[in-house]
Amino acid sequence: MITRRHVVAGAGALTAVTMAGNRSAIAQGVPAGYPAVYGELVDKAVKEGAVSIYTSTDDVQGRPLVEAFRVAFPGIRVDYNDLGTNGAYNRVISEAAAKQVGSDIVWTSAMDLQMVLVSKGQAETYKSPEAAQLPAWANFNDQLYATSVEPVAIMYNKSMLGALKPPQTRAELIAFLQANKDALKGKVASFDPEKSGSGFLFFNNDARTTSDTWELVRAFGGTDPKVYGSSGAMREKIASGEHWIAFNLIGSYAIEWAKKNSNLGVVLPPDHAAAFSRVANISKGAPHPAAARVFLDFLLSQRGQTAMAASGAPSIRTDVSEGLNIAKLNEMAGGKLKPIPVSAALLEASDPKTRAAFFQKWKQALRG
Amino acid sequence: MRPTESIAMSLANDAPRFRAGVILALFVMVAAPALLVIYQSVLDAPFFDDNVRFSLDAFRFVLTDPEFYRALWTTTLYAFGMVVVAVPLGGLLAFLITRTDLKGRKWLEPIVLVPMFLSSIVLAFGYTVSVGPSGFVTIAFKSLFGAAPWSIYTLPGIILIGGLSHVPTVYLYVASAMRRLPSDLEEAARTAGAGIWRVSLDVTLPMVLPALVFSAALNLLLGFETFGIPLVLGDPNGILVLTTYIYKVNTIFGAPTYQVMAAVTVFLILITLPLVFIQRRLLRHARRFAAVGGKGARTNLLRLGSTGQAVALGLIGLWLLVSVFFPVGGIVLRAFVENWGEGVRLTEQLTLANFKAVFEIPSLSRGILNTILLAGVGGAIAVAFYLLVGLAGHRNRGRSGTLLDYSVLIPRALPGLIVGLTFFWLFLFVPFLIPLRATLISLLIAYIIVGLSYGLRIIQSTLLQVAPELEESARITGASVYRSWRDVVIPLVRPGLAGAWAMIMIVFLREYATGVYLMSSGTEVIGSLMVSLLTSGAMDQIAALSFISIALTAVGLTLALRLGAKLHD
Repeated sequence: MITRRHVVAGAGALTAVTMAGNRSAIAQGVPAGYPAVYGELVDKAVKEGAVSIYTSTDDVQGRPLVEAFRVAFPGIRVDYNDLGTNGAYNRVISEAAAKQVGSDIVWTSAMDLQMVLVSKGQAETYKSPEAAQLPAWANFNDQLYATSVEPVAIMYNKSMLGALKPPQTRAELIAFLQANKDALKGKVASFDPEKSGSGFLFFNNDARTTSDTWELVRAFGGTDPKVYGSSGAMREKIASGEHWIAFNLIGSYAIEWAKKNSNLGVVLPPDHAAAFSRVANISKGAPHPAAARVFLDFLLSQRGQTAMAASGAPSIRTDVSEGLNIAKLNEMAGGKLKPIPVSAALLEASDPKTRAAFFQKWKQALRG
Repeated sequence: MRPTESIAMSLANDAPRFRAGVILALFVMVAAPALLVIYQSVLDAPFFDDNVRFSLDAFRFVLTDPEFYRALWTTTLYAFGMVVVAVPLGGLLAFLITRTDLKGRKWLEPIVLVPMFLSSIVLAFGYTVSVGPSGFVTIAFKSLFGAAPWSIYTLPGIILIGGLSHVPTVYLYVASAMRRLPSDLEEAARTAGAGIWRVSLDVTLPMVLPALVFSAALNLLLGFETFGIPLVLGDPNGILVLTTYIYKVNTIFGAPTYQVMAAVTVFLILITLPLVFIQRRLLRHARRFAAVGGKGARTNLLRLGSTGQAVALGLIGLWLLVSVFFPVGGIVLRAFVENWGEGVRLTEQLTLANFKAVFEIPSLSRGILNTILLAGVGGAIAVAFYLLVGLAGHRNRGRSGTLLDYSVLIPRALPGLIVGLTFFWLFLFVPFLIPLRATLISLLIAYIIVGLSYGLRIIQSTLLQVAPELEESARITGASVYRSWRDVVIPLVRPGLAGAWAMIMIVFLREYATGVYLMSSGTEVIGSLMVSLLTSGAMDQIAALSFISIALTAVGLTLALRLGAKLHD
């Protein structure tokens, strides 16, 4: 198995080779299957010299992608800004209003906020040559592209659960929480939809697409529930044994963590295989428009997707063999993987009335 | 009228243009964010939105939201609880270290101050790893006694941790008041046969009461502004305080709703401003009261006796264990392992991978360099700026002096997160500031404002140590006021400035909230990187960064002591 570190080291070595040998960015800049005129775009991009990314993917996870891009396009510097989902949104609308656009690519996991940016006219329309490789639901009007498929999962601490049999499906999870209500007091964690955009996306999507969501939240509510703003925070508490089981956390991370810690178990419940995507757009009035296009194409390309899959973001393409991809995930979920489509329906999630109604139900259900 | 008084009067009116200029500039710097917050709070959309209109909806929302009242109540409990924990303990520590012959008090003092120099977010992480439900202390305690009867995630737990971490703040003020007390009264009581507790309660305590009341007011204020500890320890259990409530209303509507954040901040200002007023009033009294002793009084230390020594050292040891060893130990441990907790053999987990990642990732290693730069060079610039402000306010009894007083109050009432956000906007929308936005200068300006009250206090107390006669004699021999500052005041306070620089450096190292909105690729700082890593949950890197931050702080503190920083004024 190739670990992230190997990929990074390899990428570094490749960079050195590229720098020393062939310095022509153009020669290697036109990937197979792209129109011949693409060389001109790369030329322009190299002239622009930089591409600025606003993202919620932290530097640790984003690094392999950035390194791979640097190898492919040594002439284009990547300014990588991990701002979080809200931070990225805040900066984009503020900069647009001040006519000081600083982002070329906005790439976050807040599918709904990204769709709001599109609806506010903050996204450029660009048909990527890679678009044909993506499922239809992953491209919204050539303005917003899904770049990964990340299922939600159940994660648990094997030794802490002990004799309790970990639930394998969503239905079992509900029964599990109900039956072991007292044993699980303070031991169950999940995303906080109030504080985390991803948490809201998951639960709201659950509520819209499955009938047993509120039953689950009620069962969760019966266990003196703990809610967190990130999957990483949940991992910390599950691994340390402070909590025993968490659900609706980001499955691709959980799978990576379980590889490194044999005491962690992960379940992708086949009866509930919702998946979200990190979505990317090109900013309206991007300061480096050509570099932005080149980066977006790379992000969707096999090489870019391979780099991302290496750091735990499963590929949306079926031809990526590194890590997980959409086809493998679908297989693991018994053919029932249900990605949240990139569509105008996402706007509903940012409507204050929808949210208010959701939170009212959420709080009520949590009280049991 | 004695001649010196008339000279003092005329000195006060010297250099009016310089004074007015500096103070006005400062006022603009601190008023701009506050005004922007107030303006934003009465709008129905971001202030830069095309269709923005005046509206009181944000206030309506806040005032009808039960969560707000809950947060307000929790904050009040937290603030008062902190006072109840920190003031008696801090007072006791100050008494033991300054008024008794406690063994090892020379080296105890810097250690006692350590919690003050750690960012509360780092402290809180450390506590989860050491005394959280699966912490190594908890596990050890359980294996020894069968159960660990505490929880740091409850409100009392959070209050206790918050209170303990603010003991140094109390200590600083009370210790400085106690140092100025003459010891004759205590000695008289001792000679008359009073025991040491009797003396401390009936003689020392009443004399330092103003300082105690003052530090209580200060802690109350800090309690209302507190962010890191409730964010890390209270959030998962739904324990909200006002600052974390602000953080939450930013996400609860999907898109950030600045007007609601601003409205809550306005409430925070309304609560804290009166506190700041009270505090300043008390400070004036405290100074006057403590000055009774004068300089000539020699302090004779109370003798504790061997039992007293043992009890006192035991008490301090226990406090150090809980307030320094637990959090710092937790961070150190977490930085060198990937997994911890129940059933985990830590010896099998030891690794340098967390640090390797930090040094491999450009933004994180750049963040370390930027933080050092901002703390070192930025700290020096900040001290220069505070010195200008300090001189402008030095023996200034004019109207600009009052304006200065007000200007220093304002940033105290604004949470760092909000200061950062408003500065982000100012650098975005004010034309001549735009080129500075993507540089460390924007962060430095915000840091200078956040550190203003603390930094200025150090500078002012240093300046006040220069006897007015010296300046007056310079003036009488014909020097201009600038010349008297340049040739008399500044050379005399130079050692104090070096110490102030080191202290500001530590304050800047510790800061985390201010940079969250301001930093961008190339201007990352450790504290804010930790906050942004927190949103994705990259605990490995957070722990490594925390460790580095503690190490840098230790270097800064050593430097501060070497440079003769006065940890007390």
